[in-house]
Amino acid sequence: MTKGQTNKREMPARAAGAEQPGAEPAIYTEHLTKIYRQRLIAVNDMTLEVPRGSVFGLLGPNGAGKTTTLRLLLGLQRPTAGRAEVFGRPCGPNAVGVRSRIGYLPTNPKFPGSLRPIEYLDLLGRLSRLPHAIRKPRISALLRSVGLLGATNQRIETFSTGMCTRLGIAASLIADPPLLLWDEPTAGLDPSARRFTLDLIRELGKTKTVVVATHILSDIDQICDHIGVMHEGRMIFTGSMRDMKQRLRRDDFNLEVEGGEEDVRRLARDIGNIEGIDVRFGAGQELLVQVAEDRSRPGALSEVLKLVDASGLSLQGIHSGQNVTENAYLQLLQEDEAHGFGR
Amino acid sequence: MDSGAKISKLGTRMMPYLAILRHDLGTLWSSRLVRLWLAGAALLTLMLTVSNWSRFQDAPLIASLLFPYLVFPWFFVVVVLGVSPVSGSQAEALADGILSRPVSRCEYLLAAWSARVLLVWSVYLAVIVPAIAVVALAKRPTPEDAVTVYGIVSALGLVGLVQTFLVSLGFLAGTLLRKPLLAVVVLIFVWYPISLTLSLFSLEQYSPVSLSRALSTQLRKPWRQNDAGAKPDANAQDMQAFARQVDRFFNVFSGSPPKVEPKKPDFFEGEKFEDFSMLRVVLGYGLPTLAAVILTMLCFCRRDL
Repeated sequence: MTKGQTNKREMPARAAGAEQPGAEPAIYTEHLTKIYRQRLIAVNDMTLEVPRGSVFGLLGPNGAGKTTTLRLLLGLQRPTAGRAEVFGRPCGPNAVGVRSRIGYLPTNPKFPGSLRPIEYLDLLGRLSRLPHAIRKPRISALLRSVGLLGATNQRIETFSTGMCTRLGIAASLIADPPLLLWDEPTAGLDPSARRFTLDLIRELGKTKTVVVATHILSDIDQICDHIGVMHEGRMIFTGSMRDMKQRLRRDDFNLEVEGGEEDVRRLARDIGNIEGIDVRFGAGQELLVQVAEDRSRPGALSEVLKLVDASGLSLQGIHSGQNVTENAYLQLLQEDEAHGFGR
Repeated sequence: MDSGAKISKLGTRMMPYLAILRHDLGTLWSSRLVRLWLAGAALLTLMLTVSNWSRFQDAPLIASLLFPYLVFPWFFVVVVLGVSPVSGSQAEALADGILSRPVSRCEYLLAAWSARVLLVWSVYLAVIVPAIAVVALAKRPTPEDAVTVYGIVSALGLVGLVQTFLVSLGFLAGTLLRKPLLAVVVLIFVWYPISLTLSLFSLEQYSPVSLSRALSTQLRKPWRQNDAGAKPDANAQDMQAFARQVDRFFNVFSGSPPKVEPKKPDFFEGEKFEDFSMLRVVLGYGLPTLAAVILTMLCFCRRDL
């Protein structure tokens, strides 16, 4: 994790793959930097620690450097500066030992279209030096697990996006690696395939370290226990999901009221007059109430509700702004932008 | 450790190499280019054999059958086959599919190179060997010719070596230039005027045209004479000549005057090609082939995918 943000309390307790005291992290990078042709900084001085046994969400907008980070770990690219280690071993183009412990699922994976799924998985099994006696049963089990048993006679070129992703998932698991690097695993999937993939990640997370690179916040919210946020090549936050959400603890809430426009304005004025409370208009008849850090949230909420009661407006709902990953994420990006040269 | 365990360990170690080799051979074999090449080569060989059936003796006829592999048009196919594996869109699929697995880049390159060389040799031999057998064994209305088995084998090996060199050159160009089309165009511009270029360095005997002209002589060479013939120090002389040629090659670059030769070699005199040396030609093509493969590996191992 980034210096000063390490939080080992949040380590998930797992039956297998759990972090042992003193064991090196699954992934460790130190000042990892990748600059393409002296022009584009893809990864900028990234220091990161991914604990063993965690489901780590690598979050960031498009072009943030997520895929480049994964490719640096795989040794498909060489770092311009810094270093990366997987289970204590240095990464690089010839780090065969490192790759034997990683299962990689690229975004929209490309396959040799003329092959059938069994042929393709058999090829990958051979590349992983799996003996015949292990390879064959595992291929059957994987095809069954990812729901491709009915498509074994089809050429891969006839597969839909969802089927390709399922095959990619099976391919990443063929050597039963302890670390999975999945890049945008839900990209282009229909809701049922997406649900399947997320459930699978949750299941695999019980026994393996899983890194999921994505820009889909709801995916991260559902499956990850640790998170790293990248922006313009930099890791601007790493920590547990709880850390991430607590960063946004501004004690905001939204009031959804119904009534006359003038009454709503009057209510907003009255709320705004309470010390330590700020109010803004949201969409429709929604009021965004922000509570200052030094004020008690329940106390502020109680005063606001009294005013609502007195206003004669109908209260349709109260939505807490807390624990919303999206808000926390956007806030992180805004803060990073606002730091300007200080970054 | 008993031999069974050793073999098993070696088999496990070689598993990725053999898997890529098998996969590449399968992919290449099912490609339209290779099938068209096989059909085209068979057709051209048939046409050349039929049209020269009663005109040429055995040696010139066999040499004429080998000519398309050395000069035109098959060099083009061989180069295209060599260019493809590590360039263009292939590189991306390669990175995602193979190089993200526990396979070293050298392992991948060697397997891909071997697959291409094997395929080129297979197609070439599958077409040419039956044709040579027919020409050598059939009774034709031409005077008897003294073609030897050694001559045939060495000529086939020589042409195969040139094709291996072309595959390696394609490999190097594809890796360096990254764009397959550009690499092919560059190689066409390099290979067509190769005779002219080689003559600048006084290395005419290595040019594909010279080789194809010398093949008739080589086809008639007996094994024994070549092995332990009249000149016991033939290999030493060849090595000296090869060293002189390398020296001349670098002299052209450095601008220093070449050493004065007592006389021009007999190679082109009277078109007998008596001075043709297998050893020198094997070194002349073998060393650059090796250099091309090593350079490709160095280049590919440092590349971002």
